[in-house]
Amino acid sequence: MALVRTENLSKVYNPDTVPVHALRDVSVTIEPGEFTSIVGPSGSGKTTLLNMIGGLDKPSSGKVFINGTDITGMKDSKLIDFRLRNIGFVFQHYNLIPVFTARENISFIMLLQNRDKKEMLSRADELLDKVGLGDRKDARPKEMSGGQQQRVAVARALASEPKFILADEPTANLDSSSAMNLLDIMSRMNKEQNVTFVFSTHDQRVIDRARRVITMVDGAVDSDERRENGNDNEKE
Amino acid sequence: MKTLITIAWRNIWRHPARSGVLLAAVVVGLWAGVVTVGTVNGLMQQRVDYLIDSEIAHAQIHHPEFLAEGYSWLFIPDHEGILDWLDADPRVTAWSARTMTDGMLQSPIKTSGVRIRGIDIQQETGTTDFHENMVDGEYLDSDVRNAVIVGRSLASDHNLRIGNRLVLVFEDVNNELTSGSFNIVGFFESASTEFDDRNVYVRSGDFSRYLADELIVHEIAMRFSEPEMAATVVGDINSAFSGVEAQTWRELSPELNVLVELGDVMLYVITMIIMMALAFGILNTMLMALFERMREIGMLLSIGMSKARVFSMILLESVILTLSGALTGIILAWLSVLYLAENGINLEQFAAGVAELGWDHIIYPIISFPEYAGIVVLVIVITLLSSVYPAIKAIRINPLEAARDA
Ligand SMILES: Nc1ncnc2c1ncn2[C@@H]1O[C@H](COP(=O)(O)OP(=O)(O)OP(=O)(O)O)[C@@H](O)[C@H]1O
Ligand SMILES: [Mg+2]
Repeated sequence: MALVRTENLSKVYNPDTVPVHALRDVSVTIEPGEFTSIVGPSGSGKTTLLNMIGGLDKPSSGKVFINGTDITGMKDSKLIDFRLRNIGFVFQHYNLIPVFTARENISFIMLLQNRDKKEMLSRADELLDKVGLGDRKDARPKEMSGGQQQRVAVARALASEPKFILADEPTANLDSSSAMNLLDIMSRMNKEQNVTFVFSTHDQRVIDRARRVITMVDGAVDSDERRENGNDNEKE
Repeated sequence: MKTLITIAWRNIWRHPARSGVLLAAVVVGLWAGVVTVGTVNGLMQQRVDYLIDSEIAHAQIHHPEFLAEGYSWLFIPDHEGILDWLDADPRVTAWSARTMTDGMLQSPIKTSGVRIRGIDIQQETGTTDFHENMVDGEYLDSDVRNAVIVGRSLASDHNLRIGNRLVLVFEDVNNELTSGSFNIVGFFESASTEFDDRNVYVRSGDFSRYLADELIVHEIAMRFSEPEMAATVVGDINSAFSGVEAQTWRELSPELNVLVELGDVMLYVITMIIMMALAFGILNTMLMALFERMREIGMLLSIGMSKARVFSMILLESVILTLSGALTGIILAWLSVLYLAENGINLEQFAAGVAELGWDHIIYPIISFPEYAGIVVLVIVITLLSSVYPAIKAIRINPLEAARDA
């Protein structure tokens, strides 16, 4: 069964005043283990599509299935819980909790899942080691660089053991070496642990690392290209 | 829950200045409010106690028309019977039978209208503290014939000195204008200059002789073992005796009644002002904090923090902040009131004006435990109510705020 499936997804903003067709009949499928990049010019609908798949916004028509579950008609509070258990998020602005340390930021999401305390802390430490921040566990977001914060954000998304991770322009605020470093970590997680990633980007070097590239133009899928060796470009 | 408290606590200290200002405002506001409430309370209570203790006592009996008319022929019929009844009632701890009427005080300089109060020294001393108001000379227990004591301010108006004579003019029970010459033995000064200017005291035995052939009584002032008994004892007297009217101190002194009610209104107003300020302080600070944190809360809702938890988090933040301030303020106020209740607040600088109105210069604030409890409950309720709105606002934030540019 497909991990994510959209069915004739359309989104019209301001239907009553100045309608903007942000998505037109988008039907895509994402399978477990993919490392997919969504690209396209500004305003082509990348963010809108990711928001629909992530259950953060409702389509005007069409449906979104996650693991076979139709989330389109779900009530707000149920959807929040669904996101908590199934979807990981990485944001352009990192969005860590500023009053929490790196470790606390990662444990927090597991706490929301009501996981065992001990497991939580050891898992947070383990994830911080994996994203190369073993020595910044007690740092607060303000004390970290953008690249470091975004790595904490990826660790946080991984911590909840989601079915897949959505990232809208995760590298947009990073310098290119931090961006590549983040991509290294993401693709390693993808390869080693089969974590599914779907991310949007404008950065050609990031696009080059993807194994599947969905190109959006004017709210519709323009091309959908699979490149089996995509993330093998990793420089070791 | 523990994590929610942690996050709330740390969020409070994210802007130490802002939270500090609210905290300080809450502490100072509650402290000042509670001390003010205590002071107003103390002021009212002192005035009530003073009037009860120095003049009115807990209840009085009169001829039904005496208080309005003041004529000497409106005396209490068969006062002996009433006094026997009072002696037999264990609730009545003391009484004082007074012989009084309105009249004129004549001195070589001028004439003033006064109420002439004839008292029995022993009875009066057992019933009121009036004798404590003596400031000069002797009390009515003097050996001098036809002794009179006058207020010091009235005496200086008339240029009267101890040992001088004055003439009191009044109507006797037969409506005949009568006069008597009395010897000044002492001066008194009560808390009210107005009272001092309008009342003179003589012995009831001396005075009664001018009014009638036998001892007559116009007023019986009574004290009870508990002030709260006044209403029931008064009811019993009124049903046991006809031709007289017994009244409680509240009925007797409309001034006191108004005062007590005014005091309650003032307390209510002060409390409302403090509570409104508290509510606005919370709303202002919390909405400001929320506005800054739209993206963060959007993120929390995006990654799956339930609305219930977001709600609790925001609620906790303002409740922890406000209640810690409020409780500190109330405890400080409690300590201040405790101290001031011992040492008093000295209004010496306004003393002249204050005495004019019949107030004491030193105020001893009082707040009862139920009043403290009431304030605490009110603060908690107001805090919760005004914290709910920002919390509701928080859970209405769109998760998409997480992606907004700052
Ligand atoms: N909340 C909104 N209200 C109205 N129009 C919107 C809203 N959000 C997006 N749009 C419009 O929908 C279209 C698609 O926007 P979207 O943000 O999905 O594009 P994008 O591909 O993510 O662009 P970018 O690369 O600039 O991030 C655009 O024309 C945009 O102006
Ligand atoms: Mg976008």
